[in-house]
Amino acid sequence: MPAYEFPGGIYPPERKTHSNQAPLQAAPLPALVTLPLKQHAGNAATPCVAVGDDVKVGSLIAQRNGMISAHLHASISGTITHISNQAITIEADGHDSWQTLPPLDWRTDSPEKLLERLDSGGLAGLGGAGFPTYIKAQVAEHHPIDTLVVNAAECEPYITADDLILRSYPNDVLEGAQLIARLCGAQRIIIGIEDNKPEAISALKQALPQIQHPATIVLKVIETRYPSGGERQLIKKVLDRDVPSGGLPADIGALCHNPGTLLAALHAVRDGKPLVERIVTLTGETISAPGNYWVRLGTPVGTLLNSVGLMPDRLHQVIVGGPMMGTPLTTLNSPVTKTTNCLIAASVTELPPAPMESPCIRCGACEHVCPAQLLPQQLHWYARAESDSTLAKLNLFDCIECGACSYVCPSFIPLVEDYRLAKQRIRLKQIETAKSEHAKHRFEFRQARLAREEAEKQARRQARLAQHQKPAGGSTGNHATPEVDLRSLRIAQAAAKAAVKKAEKVLARAAEQDPKQRFDDLETQLATAQENLKAADARLAKARASTTQKETP
Amino acid sequence: MSMMHASQVGAAPSTAHLMRWVIAATLPGIGAMTFYFGLGVVSNVLLAGLFALVAEALILILRQRPVRPALGDSSALLTGVLLGACLPPASPWWLIAVGVFAAIVVAKQLYGGLGHNPFNPAMVGYALLLVSFPTYMTLWSPPQSFSAETLFNETLWAQVIGTLPPTKLDALSGATPLDAFKHKGQAVLASEFWASQPLPEGTLSAWRNVALAWLAGGLVLIIKRIISWHIPVAMLGSMTLIAALFYAGDPSHFASPLFHLLTGATLFGAFFIATDPVSAATSKRAKLIYGAGIGTLVIIIRTLGGYPDAVAFAVLLMNLCVPLLDIYTVPRPNGHSKTADKSMPEGPL
Repeated sequence: MPAYEFPGGIYPPERKTHSNQAPLQAAPLPALVTLPLKQHAGNAATPCVAVGDDVKVGSLIAQRNGMISAHLHASISGTITHISNQAITIEADGHDSWQTLPPLDWRTDSPEKLLERLDSGGLAGLGGAGFPTYIKAQVAEHHPIDTLVVNAAECEPYITADDLILRSYPNDVLEGAQLIARLCGAQRIIIGIEDNKPEAISALKQALPQIQHPATIVLKVIETRYPSGGERQLIKKVLDRDVPSGGLPADIGALCHNPGTLLAALHAVRDGKPLVERIVTLTGETISAPGNYWVRLGTPVGTLLNSVGLMPDRLHQVIVGGPMMGTPLTTLNSPVTKTTNCLIAASVTELPPAPMESPCIRCGACEHVCPAQLLPQQLHWYARAESDSTLAKLNLFDCIECGACSYVCPSFIPLVEDYRLAKQRIRLKQIETAKSEHAKHRFEFRQARLAREEAEKQARRQARLAQHQKPAGGSTGNHATPEVDLRSLRIAQAAAKAAVKKAEKVLARAAEQDPKQRFDDLETQLATAQENLKAADARLAKARASTTQKETP
Repeated sequence: MSMMHASQVGAAPSTAHLMRWVIAATLPGIGAMTFYFGLGVVSNVLLAGLFALVAEALILILRQRPVRPALGDSSALLTGVLLGACLPPASPWWLIAVGVFAAIVVAKQLYGGLGHNPFNPAMVGYALLLVSFPTYMTLWSPPQSFSAETLFNETLWAQVIGTLPPTKLDALSGATPLDAFKHKGQAVLASEFWASQPLPEGTLSAWRNVALAWLAGGLVLIIKRIISWHIPVAMLGSMTLIAALFYAGDPSHFASPLFHLLTGATLFGAFFIATDPVSAATSKRAKLIYGAGIGTLVIIIRTLGGYPDAVAFAVLLMNLCVPLLDIYTVPRPNGHSKTADKSMPEGPL
C-alpha cells in the first residue's frame, strides 16, 4: 500500500542490531523492587497496603486516585518493607507466587467488563506517555473511531522492544489490537512499521490471515525515517489524515496504540495478569549481553544492567528511552517503570556530551527537518527571550519534542531543551493565573460535599422514618407537591449525571492532549460533579421514601 | 542533555564546517579572477582575510567575549575573503582595511556578533567603499593586461604603499562590461554599441568565465547541501524574468537577460552573498521572496539606477525586509486547517 509523507525528518544512525540479535529472555527476578506510585500520566496512585503486609505477584498495592490515574500491583511476591509518598518497596520471598484475576474472553465478554479489566489491571500506555489505557479505550463514547493504528514504527535509534515483541508474540499483539478495536468500535486496524524490521514484518504477515475478525488488519511497511513513530506523523503516513493542532487522533477517527500496550491488554484480559512486567531493550556498548528482556516493574536499573554484564568502568551515562527523546539517569537506583522501553548504557565514545553551543546562524537546517513544520529557530529566539505570547503564535505547543532540530543544528544549540523549559514555564504561568479559579472550584467541591452529606443524612432519616412508619393520619398536606418534587428531582439527577459525563470528557481530552500537564483542577471539577450526582441521588431517594411513606396509609 | 549530536555521529556539519566549505567553494571563482586579472586578486583576498581575523579578534577583546571560538568558526575569515574577492585587483591596503572594518566591526560585531547582524557584513563593507571611494572601486584593469613583470611588481608595491602607480593609471582604468553598457549613451543603439567593440579584446569572455567559475563553486555548495537552492534560484529566476521584460520592451536599449546573468556580480552574489544565512530570510517561502526581491532590485538598479552593478545594494535592501518576510511567511504547521485558521498569526508577532 502506498505511504503518505510527513514533512521533515532525519536519518540518524540506527544502532539497532546491537540489541535485536538475541532472542527475548526473562531478566532474573530482583530481590527487591521499588514501585513508584506515579508511573503513568495523571495523579499518583494511593497505597492500599501497610508495611509488613505479604503480597503476591499481581496483588493490588495502590489504587487509582481520580480519573486520570492507574492502579499499581506488586511485581514480585514478598513483604512490603517501605511506603513513602513516592513509592512502595517490596522485598522478595523468592517464591514468585501469583495472584491473577479471573480470565475473560475478549470476543464474548461485555465491553464494560473488559474496560473494567483494563482499569483493574493497571494498564497504561507502554510507549512513553503512560496514558491510562482504560480511558483511551473509552474514547468511542465521545468520538466515532474507524481505525486503530498500531504504532510499530519504533523510529528511535537503539530501541528494539517492539521489534522483539512482534517477532515473539505476533498473534497476541494482533489479538490485543482486536480487543481494543472492539472496545473503540474501529472496523479497521492498520499496523505501521518501518522497513528496518524485516523479521517482525514476516512474523506479522504469517499471523495476519488468522486474526482478521472482527476488524480487518492491514500491514503498512513505511520508510525508515525519524520520527515516523510520532503519533501524528504515523497517522499522516498510513492514513493521510492531519491530526488538528491542539486536537487528538480521535478527532479524525483514529486511535493509536503501541504493540507492547496491546500485548499487556491481552494478557490482562485473557490471562488475568495485571501489568507487573514489561519488555525492555537493554543496550549500549558497555553491557556484554545486550538484548530484550522481560523485566519486572520496579527492578532497580543498576541490578538489571549488572545482570546483563555491565562494565562499570566504561559506563558514561545511562539513558532511559531512546537517544533522541530519552532522559539521562542520575542514579542507577532508579526503578524500571511502566514507561521504560529502553535503557542505553552508553560509553563516552558512543554518546559523548554535547559540544559547546555557538550562536545561531539562522541557517534554517532545523526548519527543513521539523516534522511539525514549525520554525524551530524563531522558537529558539523567542523561548530564550521568554516572549510567551509570540511562542504561542508560533505554535510552540505543536512541537512534539522529537529532537530532529537539535540533531541537525550546526551550532549545537539544545533547541528541544529550550522548548521544554518554555512549555514548562507557560504551564506554570497558566496554573498561576488560574489560581483563583482553582480556589473557587475547590470551594465548590467543598460545598458540594457538604450538600451531599446533608442530603444523604436526610435520606437516611427519611428511610428510617419510612421503615417504622406510623399511621400518619394527620397528613393533610397537598398531595401534588411530592410528585412535582419527584419529577424535578429526577430532572436534577439526570442533569447531574450529564455534568459528570461532561467533566469526564473534558478531563480525558485535556489529559490526552498534554499528558505532562497537571489535572488537579479538572479532577476537582469532576469530583464536584460526582458529589452533586450523589447528592441528587440521595435527594431523589429521600423524596421517594417520603412519597411511599405518605402514600402507604 | 542526552541528545545525540550531529558532530558526534558525523551526520550534520558544524558551523565552522559550513563556513570552511563556503571558503573552499570560492576557490574556482578566485582562481578564474586571478587567471584574468593577475595576482592582485589573491593579494586582495589574503589581505582582507588577514584584516578580518585581526579586526574580529580586537573587537572581541574590546567586547570581552571569548576570542578563540569566534575565530575558530571561520565566519570572519569568510567575510574577509568575500569582500576581498569583490575589490579591483591589488587595491590599496587601507582601502581593504576600511572595508573590513566596516564589515567586521560595524556591520557584524556592533550588532552583537555572529548570528545577530541584520546586514550582510561583506556587502556593508563593499557598499561603503563603493560610495566613499568610487575612483578606486572602479579601477578594473582589462583582463590579461599584466603581461609585463614590472607592472605586476609595481602593482603589488602600490598596494603595499597604498597608492596607485601613476604612470600606468590609464592601463588600469578599463571598464567592466556593465559599466561600458551603462554609459553607452541614449543615442547609441545596443547593436551599434556592440559593433563598435567598446571593450578591449576578451573582456566580455573573461567576465563570463569568471561568472561561470563562481557558478561552479555555488553548485558544489548546493550539492553538498551547505546552502539551499531557494535563494539562488529565486534570484536568478527573477533577474531573468525582469531583464527579459525590459529586453522584450526595447532590445535596442536594454541588455539581454543572458548579459545580466553572466556579467558583474550576479552569479557570485546569488550563491555566495545572498545565501548568507544570518542576514537572509529563514523560512523556505521567505527565502524565495527574498531571492526574488534581490533579483528584481538588481535589474532595476542596473537598468534605471545610477550604478552599473547593484548586487550589494539589492542584498542590503532585501536584508532590511527580512524581519517582515519572516513574520508574514510563517509556514502552516501540521494540523492547522488550510482555510481561516484563527491560530495563525495575522499581523506582526
